[in-house]
Amino acid sequence: MSTDIKNSRIANFILQQRVIILLFVLIIVMFIIGEIVSKGFLAYEHICAVLRTASFLGIVSIGQTIAILTGGIDLSVGPLITMGNVFTCMFINGLDSNTLWALVVIILLGAFFGFVSGLGVAYLKISPIVMTLAVGSLVTGITLIFSQGAPKGLASSILRYIGVGSLLNLFPVIILVWIVLSVFFILLLNSSTFGRKIYYIGANEKAAFLSGIKTNLVKTLAYSISGASAALAGALMAGYTQTAFLGIGNEYILWSIAAVVIGGTSLTGGRGGYFGTIAGAIILILLESILTVIRIPEAGRRIANGAIILILISIYYSQKRQKL
Amino acid sequence: MKEKQQNLRLYIPVYSIAIAIYIFAGIIEPTFFTWNNNVNLFTRITPLIFAGMAQTFVILTGGIDLSIGSIIGLTNVLAASLPFIDKPLNIVMWIFIPPLVGLSMGLINGLIISKGGFPPLIVTLATGAIFQGITLFIMPIPGGSVSLSIARTVTGTMFKIPNSLIIFLIFLYIFHLILKRTEFGRSIYAIGGNEAIAYESGIPCSKVKIWVYGVSGLLGAFAGMFLSAWIFSADPLIGGPYILNSIAVAVISGTALSGGIGGVTGIIGGAYIFHLINNILNLLGISTFYQFVAKGLVLILALTISSSGITFNIRSILRTFFLKTKPIEKIGE
Repeated sequence: MSTDIKNSRIANFILQQRVIILLFVLIIVMFIIGEIVSKGFLAYEHICAVLRTASFLGIVSIGQTIAILTGGIDLSVGPLITMGNVFTCMFINGLDSNTLWALVVIILLGAFFGFVSGLGVAYLKISPIVMTLAVGSLVTGITLIFSQGAPKGLASSILRYIGVGSLLNLFPVIILVWIVLSVFFILLLNSSTFGRKIYYIGANEKAAFLSGIKTNLVKTLAYSISGASAALAGALMAGYTQTAFLGIGNEYILWSIAAVVIGGTSLTGGRGGYFGTIAGAIILILLESILTVIRIPEAGRRIANGAIILILISIYYSQKRQKL
Repeated sequence: MKEKQQNLRLYIPVYSIAIAIYIFAGIIEPTFFTWNNNVNLFTRITPLIFAGMAQTFVILTGGIDLSIGSIIGLTNVLAASLPFIDKPLNIVMWIFIPPLVGLSMGLINGLIISKGGFPPLIVTLATGAIFQGITLFIMPIPGGSVSLSIARTVTGTMFKIPNSLIIFLIFLYIFHLILKRTEFGRSIYAIGGNEAIAYESGIPCSKVKIWVYGVSGLLGAFAGMFLSAWIFSADPLIGGPYILNSIAVAVISGTALSGGIGGVTGIIGGAYIFHLINNILNLLGISTFYQFVAKGLVLILALTISSSGITFNIRSILRTFFLKTKPIEKIGE
């Protein structure tokens, strides 16, 4: 009897988490394909390198996941990453003593711009696409004005350690940072009242409002988190690239949305979570890595990226239709 | 009659702001009013007008097209890759092949979105990546050329009137008529207003939506072709900025992103506002870096005004600003 219940629980778990299971199976399959096309793909160092690249995308996608869960979207992550990257190098200027306050200021700045987007989206009822677009344009301008179009400065050795260093020469620090942030945000989304409110708003905003949730406040906070995580990712990228680069964030607007969608979070909000996004980020970076290894040009990589998104959403949506 | 009043209410803010900015520019720099400068301006805003129209059609149904930049890039590259010696056959090919390709790209978008029932945002994001990949296969670096007679016709002037002005006015009028006078156009508004009700009242929603994306691709192709004739070559990445700019122009010109409200009549004003900001900052000798800040601020301002539902009725303005308790119906819209 008890085994029956246990079995049905396991079956239930598999049924509920089938998207995530599918994604992690896909990751393993991709790693194996990588090993087949190029020997050494499954080496520990290479796996770490893939995960290290994925961790930047993963950190950006934290905020994107939360914004999309409320039923919105954040297109200002790209400019915010660039801002974080450029300003970090400017503030730190190669000195370890500047690192801490620079990181704090960067996160606060990111949160501030996210807050501005949130105000527009929540209180003025402006469509999130255009509001974050406008804020993104604003942030790009501010970055250019303060850097005069030629970013200066250097990352400090502490930041470089976080970006490219390894713990005991074994485990990359940046992956550890990603794991800590992931655990925190998965707990925040699943086990805190704030997290539950985000899901409620995404599922049905009117009902959430009528049941006493301060929907506008929660939405504003969600966008603030998104801004902060994008700016933090930009700052950490400075540790990876060592110097600032003005176009660094451009690719991440679409990539972060793709990671969230591949991870099974519904674009209408209310369904999904950060765990799937982690898989989405790893899949995107893995695909890029495999295609680079077999020397597919830029053109082919873009087509493959688009194709994988289309294939995965067609799988998700056909599942949903069967349920109906 | 009522619809006309509604339209006026939509377009008066756009054109009054555009004219105000235009006059402001002329005061800073008197040569701004010269006919040569205006000819130049008409040519510069033409691709933006086509891209804005393309986006407007999609937004009116409640969707969004993020692949428009890639369609512009692809047709731009195609138009400049065709044989460019001045022969009638080549010119006919130039006129027909890129629009057909753009139309089919759009139809592919529409088919996936409406037959699959997937969100337009992510579908056009994915197809945009695919189209851009195809573009980079055809032409990895800027190059190509266009027939000289085409380039002269498209960017030239006739009796001092720039051909670009005539081109975009004709197309604006045609697509305005399509929206307002045809069954197809009315169906677009109905779907944007409420798709379920539109479906219930017998409108073939999925067919209309497929063709809306087709029209969007076609208009994107016109933008790409115009760019190729104007810069006399092609650049595979030329469409990038048009993704966001086209959305911005559509929104500034009074089209609501929720769908069902707006039209193409305001687009000249929207494109002017967007373009004149750069122009004025250049005239004032301010660094181009401030353009991004100015564009962002103008967009936020325009959105704030349109979302607060501006009218010229003082009482209702006061009410929107000072009324603390909002009716429940407005929440979550």
